[in-house]
Amino acid sequence: MDILINALEQMFTPATAAFAIAAIGLNFHFGLTGLLNMGQAGFMLLGMYGYAISVREGLPMWAAILVAMGAAILFGLLLGWPTLKLRGDYLAIVTIAAAEIVRYVGRSNTLVEVTGGSLGIKGKDYKGPLEDLSPFPDERITVGPFTYHGSASDSWWLRVVAWVLVALFLLLFWRLSNSPWGRVLKGIREDEDAVRSLGKNVYWYKMQALIIGGVIGALGGVIWAHGSAVVADAMGRPTTFWVWTILLLGGAATVMGPVVGSVVFWAALSLIRAVAKAFIPESILPSTAIEPFGLMLVGIALILLVVFRPQGILGNKKELAFHA
Amino acid sequence: MPDTTVLDGVAHEPGVAKPDPILIADGVVRRFGGLTAVNVGHFEVQRNTITALIGPNGAGKSTFFNLLTSFDTAQEGSGTFDGKPLRKVSPHKVARSGMVRTFQLTKALEGMSVMENMRLGAQDQPGESLLTAFVPPLWKSREREITEQAHDLLHRFKLYEKRDDSAGSLSGGQRKLLEMARALMSKPTMVMLDEPMAGVNPALTESLLEHIIELKDEGMTVLFVEHDMHMVRRISDWVAVMAQGELIAEGPASTVMQNAAVQDAYLGAHHDTDLGEDL
Amino acid sequence: MFTRPDTRFYKAAGLLLIAAAAFVIATLVLGGGPAEAETVEPVAAGTSTATLVIQNVINGLAFGVLLALAAVGLSLIFGTTGLSNFAHGEQVTFGALLTFFLSTNEQVTIPLVPGSFTIGLPLWLAAIIAVIVSGFTGWLQDKMLWGPLRKRRVAVLQQMVVSIGLSLALLNLLQWWMGGTRHRLTNASGGRITFGNFYVGTLTLMSVVIAAIALAGVALFLLKTRLGRATRAISDNPALAAASGIRVDSIIRLVWVMSAALAGLGGILLALFDNGAGFDSGARILLLMFAAVTLGGLGQAFGALVGALVVGVVSEVSTVVIAPDMRYASALAILIIVLLVRPQGILGRKERVG
Repeated sequence: MDILINALEQMFTPATAAFAIAAIGLNFHFGLTGLLNMGQAGFMLLGMYGYAISVREGLPMWAAILVAMGAAILFGLLLGWPTLKLRGDYLAIVTIAAAEIVRYVGRSNTLVEVTGGSLGIKGKDYKGPLEDLSPFPDERITVGPFTYHGSASDSWWLRVVAWVLVALFLLLFWRLSNSPWGRVLKGIREDEDAVRSLGKNVYWYKMQALIIGGVIGALGGVIWAHGSAVVADAMGRPTTFWVWTILLLGGAATVMGPVVGSVVFWAALSLIRAVAKAFIPESILPSTAIEPFGLMLVGIALILLVVFRPQGILGNKKELAFHA
Repeated sequence: MPDTTVLDGVAHEPGVAKPDPILIADGVVRRFGGLTAVNVGHFEVQRNTITALIGPNGAGKSTFFNLLTSFDTAQEGSGTFDGKPLRKVSPHKVARSGMVRTFQLTKALEGMSVMENMRLGAQDQPGESLLTAFVPPLWKSREREITEQAHDLLHRFKLYEKRDDSAGSLSGGQRKLLEMARALMSKPTMVMLDEPMAGVNPALTESLLEHIIELKDEGMTVLFVEHDMHMVRRISDWVAVMAQGELIAEGPASTVMQNAAVQDAYLGAHHDTDLGEDL
Repeated sequence: MFTRPDTRFYKAAGLLLIAAAAFVIATLVLGGGPAEAETVEPVAAGTSTATLVIQNVINGLAFGVLLALAAVGLSLIFGTTGLSNFAHGEQVTFGALLTFFLSTNEQVTIPLVPGSFTIGLPLWLAAIIAVIVSGFTGWLQDKMLWGPLRKRRVAVLQQMVVSIGLSLALLNLLQWWMGGTRHRLTNASGGRITFGNFYVGTLTLMSVVIAAIALAGVALFLLKTRLGRATRAISDNPALAAASGIRVDSIIRLVWVMSAALAGLGGILLALFDNGAGFDSGARILLLMFAAVTLGGLGQAFGALVGALVVGVVSEVSTVVIAPDMRYASALAILIIVLLVRPQGILGRKERVG
């Protein structure tokens, strides 16, 4: 029973919402436009740094949000400029490399004054402004089987903010993907030369998609940071791969895919860990191995998904985002 | 009816000047590594005519086509379309200036419906800009106009019944028709067709030919690459022949086929090429 | 794609030398003051920056040769199948960890098998077995996964995401198997050979020599044998190769075996060079391998060597100016800059896109 409640709890954590947001961003890239952004974690990390450092240095919250978005816009321009004219896998390699550069630089001791090095930035340095806005009492609140603090850190307030943001981004994706703008992107996903021949500036559309998805990813990072801390190593390549798994699981190019994917992903991961811990004896699966065991299954799930159900849970086989 | 006698006084020689050219290419050279794929000294296309670009396999027709539409970049040379320079202009700008093209291997957007394919062909939809896309009232009325225009074209190309099917479900010939109809959505002044008949079943070729002739009747200029000489004879006002990257002959279909250089080029490449009935 | 190094090769190599020289001079100028304090292994008290840079170039070249060996398989697979294989890093790790598993005197375990035991083979034997088993994993992968995907005509980009899933699965399997700590293949320090102000570790020198021999073997294979020529033919034009009677699928299987075995050997030598290997050793250098391969021109086997030397030297020499924990970042930055200037890579032919 505890296992199930735990899984249920995982469905609605701020982290689940943050990954759903990052996956909505990736849905603009891959689902709508067919861009292989393998550096979504880099956008998230830049958003986290942009926001946390701005708040720590005394900027108001709205300005910090703008800094986070601005960092993502610059990053997108920088990555898109050389690669969006080249074959798809160049973008993949450059984005993954750039995301790693952000992480290396962030965790480096050289910049310890700014980024906090490998220890990162502590929550108390940047969580204040959002928590001050909380209408909830400053104490632990229990609803049904769940108990969280009203306003601080991993709180009810953060859950409300995170999921409202998820809803807003879903609305945004729905509106844009069903507009003539979204139609051009879908055309690019299918065959960019055809779209070029129809007088559309393909390069610029791809750039717009890369930037808008990256900015959404950065804001997902800001939400994630409010639930835990700003640590560079939490945003390595595996994080990007999880976002991909989430998107492909839910269904790329569908509106609800990223949310369904994130909810199912985190619930399933928690179930696997709990079940493995409860039923497999220590001599066969030691407790230190449970984490890698669960993540190994994530990798296998990603393989099986891409091979056998590339359209995911909600997707339509006809509208596939994979094109040769 | 357009005046087809306008080319009567033009000499039958490669690179000849036309009375009212819409497209001019000059000194176009494209090399791949050590191989010169295209080396065309001068070429003009007369406004409101149907011009065929023919030549044996590997003559550089498609490469030249790509150069004219900016899908490929020449090492040397210049060109103008309707008086505007073509050099270093990106392909989407060429399309916007009124010269649209189709592809040898049809590029129907298979995951999208026939109707969405058509709508994508239209120009001046404000909703295609990111900022206006948020506000449907700003683009819904234009969308209605586009849809109406698409309905007309789909009726004409006998694809109306298929409008909600995905383009991937169409036959090869229907995709060619869709690609041509989609290109017309932008109301072009010149249509470039890369092998419009390739892979089309014979039942559809007749209607495709009629559609091409209609384009001219509506005032457009057509340049097309084709292998089938019977088709070329039937619809073209003027024929340009390429071999080994160079323009070797120009003239009306009947005289060009008699040209010794053309026969050499074809016979040198393919002994069994059918140049049409009166060879 | 695997053309013989021709004039382009010399031109590119010349350009590279100039670029490298400029880089070294720039570091000498910029890195005047605080450099010595920041480096990990100062050569000796009171060394000048110039000595330091040259020592780093030596280290970088050694690292580059080993990286090239690990990366050449990545390039071969890309050349013949078009796949950017993200699971290649785990293949590198596997070689090193299997060698440790077979040769260590510590207690080792296998996932899901209760109990622990010691095998304790001599290092050289363990390494040979590890390379053979690595090659076998390449065969197995192609038999079970990549071959069927090719047969189903799954798009390459889709296959690339499959390789990402495989990488995630293997990385965690390796962590499960060997835990989170680093393992040393040998406790022998081996000493160092000094010449003038400079030195090179004996173990490093041995690794580099073995790697160079292996790379020469690969080059001979590609240029001189029938199978090698068939491999290059497939890279140039798979359809044409198939039409001219080359059995494309068996060659690709062979390429997978070679690629995995070379990655395994590279992993072992890198572990000797780097004083050990952990479950994520290969994952850490995956991007450096991609950088090497992309710099050289995706799919160009000889390009991978040039690219790896550049990556090796840049990452080592950059530690003179920037903190050592950012040295990989500088190599990746070079990758992005090169893509800006010359997207087809140093040796690549310009490819038509768009």
